[in-house]
Amino acid sequence: MRISLIAICLLFICCIGTATAEEPRAGFVKNVSGQAFIERNKVMTSAKAKDRLMENDVLVTGQSGSMGVILQDNSVMSIGSNTRLVISKFMFEPADEKLSFVAQIKKGTVVYLTGLIAKLNHSGVKFETPAATCGIRGTHFAIKVEDPGN
Amino acid sequence: MDKKVFFTATLLSQTHKPLPRIRKVILLLVLLGLLMFGCAPTTQVVLLPDPDGKVGILEVSNVKGTQTLNQAWQATESASMDRTPSKPEILEETKVRQVFQEALAAEPIPPASFIIYFRMDRATLSPESLSLLTKVMEAIQVRKSTDIIVSGHTDAVGSGEYNRRLSLRRARAVADILVAGGIDRENIHVTYHGKGNPLVPTPDGVPEPRNRRVEITVR
Repeated sequence: MRISLIAICLLFICCIGTATAEEPRAGFVKNVSGQAFIERNKVMTSAKAKDRLMENDVLVTGQSGSMGVILQDNSVMSIGSNTRLVISKFMFEPADEKLSFVAQIKKGTVVYLTGLIAKLNHSGVKFETPAATCGIRGTHFAIKVEDPGN
Repeated sequence: MDKKVFFTATLLSQTHKPLPRIRKVILLLVLLGLLMFGCAPTTQVVLLPDPDGKVGILEVSNVKGTQTLNQAWQATESASMDRTPSKPEILEETKVRQVFQEALAAEPIPPASFIIYFRMDRATLSPESLSLLTKVMEAIQVRKSTDIIVSGHTDAVGSGEYNRRLSLRRARAVADILVAGGIDRENIHVTYHGKGNPLVPTPDGVPEPRNRRVEITVR
């Protein structure tokens, strides 16, 4: 009886531990100008430097906005105005060989310079747009997706 | 695309008796198809030289085919998923810089990494290490960095516990110098790994100078 109570307590503590210990972080905002937002669970908040980024976050800019971010694998990405980019997948756990970054560009302009994920997993980084998929092997590039509304 | 829609439509009419509703479904599918493929916004992809001048490789693909970019300022366009991306063509650098002006201006400087080595069982910095730290300070200033990771390590000589403490002392020694140089301690994240994360793996008990180190990443 006593032992099982202790076991339950331990289990409880473990659960709390894992829930709060490490929310997977994808990166952080390095700089913003103008209208720049992070959309998380359908809620938009103004982006500011040092904000943390998570998987499934959407980076959004308005008519005059831009934003630069640094991801956990030391890759850097920036977006121009009128842009919408979804961080649809981000895994950076080299010890477990979990290395993947997938972004969806709905519209706008994006510049990306690869980091460790692309270096360690040659098919690990992908940018998807409505008309194409870009597979990257260690490089620096720019993508523009026309605004479907235009 | 038309084939796809047609195929789905025939499938529908084969499995169900043709009802007036089916027509609506077909119309909807055609419209959806047009939305998805016919009027997909054009994607333009341009390969840029790396900051160090090197040029990487980029593959742009869709359902119909793949184009490979491997020269600086080379670009391809894809109008929709069902049309092969255009033949790569080299664009004028000034034009690319104009189109991507805002994103390029917002691009953060890539993170920089440094390694500082220590003598056996020591946590004090040599004169050479101190001069490397001025480079670290420069890297922090030019990036206006608020995210500096300082991680301490040891080689495999000695107990785990002893090496954990030694690696922490090394990391703290480096962090203290940065703080003395005017860096906000709040922006420095100190971690320590003892002998658990060697740069050069060795059997336990083997001395290895390259593992007695502090790694610094400035982001």
